[in-house]
Amino acid sequence: MADRIILTIGTRKGVFVAEAAKGRRSFALRGPFGPGVPVYSTLIDTRGTPRLYASSCNPFFGMKVLCSKDMGKSFKETKSAPAFPKDDGRALANIWSLEAGAAKKELWCGVEPASLFRSHDGGDSWDMVPGISNHEHARKWHPGAGGMCMHTIVRDGDRVHLGISTGGHYLSEDGGETFQASNKGVGAGFAPDPYPEFGQCVHKIARHDEAPGRLYMQNHGGWANWTGPGGPRPDIGVLRSDDYGHSWRSIAKGLPSDFGFPIVVHPHDADTVYVVPLEPTTRSCPGSAPAVWRSENGGASWNRLAKGFPRKESFFTVLRDAMDIDRLKTPALYFGTTTGQLWIGREGGEHWDCLFDSLPPIHNVKVAVV
Amino acid sequence: MGPAPIITIHVPGPLRPYCGGAGQISLAAHTVRAALRDLEQNQFALYRNVCDETGALRRHLNVYVNSDNVRDLEGIDTALMAGDVVTFLPAVSGGC
Repeated sequence: MADRIILTIGTRKGVFVAEAAKGRRSFALRGPFGPGVPVYSTLIDTRGTPRLYASSCNPFFGMKVLCSKDMGKSFKETKSAPAFPKDDGRALANIWSLEAGAAKKELWCGVEPASLFRSHDGGDSWDMVPGISNHEHARKWHPGAGGMCMHTIVRDGDRVHLGISTGGHYLSEDGGETFQASNKGVGAGFAPDPYPEFGQCVHKIARHDEAPGRLYMQNHGGWANWTGPGGPRPDIGVLRSDDYGHSWRSIAKGLPSDFGFPIVVHPHDADTVYVVPLEPTTRSCPGSAPAVWRSENGGASWNRLAKGFPRKESFFTVLRDAMDIDRLKTPALYFGTTTGQLWIGREGGEHWDCLFDSLPPIHNVKVAVV
Repeated sequence: MGPAPIITIHVPGPLRPYCGGAGQISLAAHTVRAALRDLEQNQFALYRNVCDETGALRRHLNVYVNSDNVRDLEGIDTALMAGDVVTFLPAVSGGC
């Protein structure tokens, strides 16, 4: 079978699947699956026969994990969803992240309230990961606007990076047994101490296989003009680490805003990274003119990519998991908006087209070539 | 206390896949709490849709005994009588 592009689109009203030939000229849309129920996380697991997963976050009946074994033509609930032990006292409020583990059928799942679960059977049973879920800091984290969520799981061998809002960046170097807060250089704008040990509102973390030790982070920026205790915190929003996440430094200079949600790395060039700067108050692009910004030198400088977007009067937000990039030779970016538009940025974001313009509000976009 | 009265659980359509498609379940329980405990033991998948891991009723779910919301009675300690119908209903929501 020729390569196909598969997109999973998690929305407020269920998960959609879009499919195209690798020319990416037109996409066929299927869904919604889990109709009417918010989906905050999806995963296209390309290990072996591809499986598509989606978190179905039902406000009435609780959390489910949906799985498709037929490339998104149908979805079924897995046999169980993550759940806290009965005597824990916490109850699952949302599923924010699904990632593939190392072993076949191993999955990792980040939830709200911020905790980590692991499955060894493709999502049919789940165990809480105590090293972070019962971390001494866990009961001290506070919810951000989206809830107290573990939204990012980045695996690199025995290293596991977690993004928690608001908890910060936590790092394991023993495969997830133990975790340490690792936020040196990660600023917080909403606390008197600009650089606390933990409690930052990390928005997203990304890495590249061919750049060992390097990570990029979109943090909660927008505090350049703060005049209260601790003083202004310019440029804390977009960061880079070159030591496996032990310390971070700003790469926000040159961006129109250091606030934003997603951050995505080019699949074939670890120096090329994309962000969507947003005004911190409206959480829409500066000047109401949508643009993706790209650095081709690891964050030393940035260029605006806006060909094909409206030039004004656009007030959508691109949420933390709503942007991804495919792995074709000349990759395309994809992002979804809170106004239900799905955009494709062909030729690495040089030119943008709206693929679908009236979907429900989009939380999550993932892409894979299968 | 005498033998527990036989009551009926009415299962709304979206929850029937979690109890083998049954629209009604008959069980013996003195109170709503006891009925939930019975479901926890005998219909766990259905129970998990109604109560979270801590045992609390899900926030956006209403439980009725006949036509009365247990919120207006004695909560889940509301006493049950033979022939009572307990219904789980999603709370009204909409507009988005």
